[in-house]
Amino acid sequence: MPEETLLSDDFLRQLINVGEVDILIGLPTHNNAGTIQQVTHAIQAGILKCFPRDRAVIINADGGSRDGTPQMVTGVSIDDVWSASKVYALRTLHAVSTEYGSSPEPGRALRTILAAADLLQAKVCVIISADEATIEPDWLQKLVKPVYRDNFDLALPIYQRQRFEGLLMRNVLYPMVRSIYGCRVREPFASDFAISSRLATDFLNQDLWNQDWVRLGPEISLTTAAITGSYRICQAFLGVRAHTDPSATDLILALRRTVGALFASLDANFPMWSKISSSQPVPLIDGTCAITPEAININRERLRDMFANGVSELDPVFQYILSPQTLADLHRIAALDLNEFRYPPELWVRTVFEFAASFHQSVINRDHIIQALGPLFRGRALSFLEEISDATEEQIEMNVERLCGEFERLKPYFLKVWNEKR
Amino acid sequence: MPVRNQPGWYKDAIIYQIHVRTFFDANNDGIGDFQGLTQKLDYVQQLGVDTIWLMPFFPSPLRDDGYDISDYTSVHSRYGALEDFKTFLATAHDRGVRVIIEMVLNHTSDQHPWFLESRSSRDNPKRDWYVWSDTDARYRGARIIFLDTEMSNWAWDPISKAYYWHRFFSHQPDLNYDNPAVREEMWNVMKFWLDLGVDGFRLDAVPYLIEREETNCENLPETHAIVRDLRKRVDEQYPGTMLLAEANQWPADLCQYFGEGDEFHMAFHFPLMPRMFMGLRLEDRKPITEILQQTPEIPPSCQWSLFLRNHDELTLEMVTDIERDYMYDIYAQDKSMRLNLGIRRRLAPLLDNDRRRIEIMNGMLMSLPGTPIIYYGDEIGMGDNIYLGDRNGVRTPMQWSGGWNGGFSAADPESLYSPPILNPVYGYQAVNVLSQNRTHHSLLSWMKRLISVRRSTPVFGSGSIEFLHPANHRVLAYVRQLGKETVLVVNNLSSAAQAVELDLGRYRGNILIEMFGKNVFPRISDVPYLLTMGPYQFYWFRLRRI
Repeated sequence: MPEETLLSDDFLRQLINVGEVDILIGLPTHNNAGTIQQVTHAIQAGILKCFPRDRAVIINADGGSRDGTPQMVTGVSIDDVWSASKVYALRTLHAVSTEYGSSPEPGRALRTILAAADLLQAKVCVIISADEATIEPDWLQKLVKPVYRDNFDLALPIYQRQRFEGLLMRNVLYPMVRSIYGCRVREPFASDFAISSRLATDFLNQDLWNQDWVRLGPEISLTTAAITGSYRICQAFLGVRAHTDPSATDLILALRRTVGALFASLDANFPMWSKISSSQPVPLIDGTCAITPEAININRERLRDMFANGVSELDPVFQYILSPQTLADLHRIAALDLNEFRYPPELWVRTVFEFAASFHQSVINRDHIIQALGPLFRGRALSFLEEISDATEEQIEMNVERLCGEFERLKPYFLKVWNEKR
Repeated sequence: MPVRNQPGWYKDAIIYQIHVRTFFDANNDGIGDFQGLTQKLDYVQQLGVDTIWLMPFFPSPLRDDGYDISDYTSVHSRYGALEDFKTFLATAHDRGVRVIIEMVLNHTSDQHPWFLESRSSRDNPKRDWYVWSDTDARYRGARIIFLDTEMSNWAWDPISKAYYWHRFFSHQPDLNYDNPAVREEMWNVMKFWLDLGVDGFRLDAVPYLIEREETNCENLPETHAIVRDLRKRVDEQYPGTMLLAEANQWPADLCQYFGEGDEFHMAFHFPLMPRMFMGLRLEDRKPITEILQQTPEIPPSCQWSLFLRNHDELTLEMVTDIERDYMYDIYAQDKSMRLNLGIRRRLAPLLDNDRRRIEIMNGMLMSLPGTPIIYYGDEIGMGDNIYLGDRNGVRTPMQWSGGWNGGFSAADPESLYSPPILNPVYGYQAVNVLSQNRTHHSLLSWMKRLISVRRSTPVFGSGSIEFLHPANHRVLAYVRQLGKETVLVVNNLSSAAQAVELDLGRYRGNILIEMFGKNVFPRISDVPYLLTMGPYQFYWFRLRRI
């Protein structure tokens, strides 16, 4: 059993004291002192407000914080040592922390939390990102309720994003998961989500935890596992999200955790996704996709330069990855003036599919393939930002829909390049 | 024979609450009586309790089960004569069993001669014995207690054309304790019974004696002054007499009724009881430890009175709204089980007749700080009848055997004051004293053993308590200590087996002796003491340094 080697004796002792629970809230952390108190208090308030009768525990899987993050999490416990300042609660609320390693590794963090959920027979396990600066107590209910009360197996979030946020999600992850797996989940790489005990146990027992891509980005693997396993998935609108995670600005790391993990998932699931030719909507609970109008200053010239330089410098690498036609098209648009620059959806979809096929065939080191996508994504991001700079919310949504349509239209092309010998 | 003047006897007592009407019918008229009660004193003695608390047995129209008294110095004819009471009292004392009786200070029946005189005319000498008003707008800060039946604390008297004050039913007018004559007469009533030899009083509805504008008319300083005066007279003239307060209040208000050891000797710990049920169902010690930690220290001569169930509804006045909703949903899903702000059910049905839960609740009752009270019939797991009105469903005839009327009475079943419990689970053919006396593992036999072990040490009655805080919140553990006697109590509130590590470092070197089986458990060392416990299991360990 995975938990036999995963959980330390001390952690196990703490879990024994917690006992069986209804709701387990998992908090993966690493040096989140700046936001963790806000997050834990929102979780605590959410439990007291929406689930006061249910047995709940907060499980913190920490990747070697040196800023006191775990202590802040455990400080939110509600025990029976009465204090006038404490919030009122029917039940004891345990907050347990364990250090799974000396450096952050999302896969180990999630695995540790799922193992705890399995051991404590949690009916629902909800994962909350420790750097959610805008979390509200009702997020907990919005994520937990569909699984706990309405028999969904995976509740994924939808956020109210700023106009220029979520570029990776809108240009790669959502449309690609939609076209490949036929499932319209807006946030396939979610850092806040809830899963049922049966999906948690199934996912925990899958033989994938030692894969590098899962260790880096288990969230995509969980989403694809839920889709391919025919689990019931829904989406819950949470509201405004503002990340403070510094790693979110590291594009290569983000690509590894998301696109890399998504590409890696395709190998094992080919028999399933290769037969899918259309996509189905996913139930949306309590809200809709929304975009806040705040504008953010974008250095367009720098983005264009990074794209153009990347196309030029990585040409030898691209020759392994991309078809001659696609590579030629990239060189063509790299030569365009800034004001004329466009990275058309059709070309972008071809690019992504050819990268995915090359990843499958391991034409070069897989990590190098993912890194090589970085400058191209910047080019696509610039083009997307130009397209939506003055667009209304509906127009932005139509733009995303058009891209999704291209991904679905070109899926036969993807199947072709997937099977090509190189 | 109990020692009459023994101070503090109530701290080590175990009280058995009986209604004369419900216990045993000796004259075959379908109603329990004092002769019947006297005949059953052997049973009470064998149970192991040493004090009987009698519910009201005075002449009364019986519109509130005797809490509407029309004559304070006599016995209701249904229950016998005063001589029968005297015989009962002497027989109880001969067996070493003390007797405390109910004393309803706050109000009388509207059929009491005092009230009949008082309402007869506005210039009657007893007019001022009750609280009268030309308007019903006075004392608006006072809450209505019987929400299900009363719309106001004032009732219109068509005879004297005025409103009279009543905190309970409208047929129970409140006495006016601002009147010195009332206070003196009620002392005379108490003296009457003390002269007969009763060992104490359970004083009903104490917080409401005095009314004042701009207050909630509860727990007022003038009320405390009256209590202090009564206590002074009792101590001076009848030392050893115990006064027990019925004051359904929060701990901080309750504590005021102990004064500085100069008001009540004992008071019911009302807020604890529902939280014991809550803790058991939540499988979490938090509600119990929290309320006990909020309970202030009381003077050394004073004592809490603990109970699981009694003749009233399981009151939910002293809980928060969220707790009350939880209790209703868990313990009274059928709305007919609810009455006022409470649940009118007996112990066994509340606990789904689960023997293990009944045992652990009694285990806590006997080991938490205070004097335990057992409600008649709960020691055999009697059921209730929610189809009887008011609180009559928990006041059905005692079930002595599987025979005619459950052995309660030889009268025609139709003539009983109340139908006995008849259903196949709780009915007298399934649940009765006779059959439970025949088996060592019956609830009754177990209760006798529990009481016996409780009485084997004074630590439970008089000792201090220190809560342990094991990380496993399903386990409620505490140490009771008195002099060199130390007892460790560990309760598993969970329906599943539990492991718990107890920090017993300060008792290092002691061995544990389990008090029921006398088995020795391993010596306490520097490492946390590991116990594994079955569902709802509890341990009482005597600590010994050998």
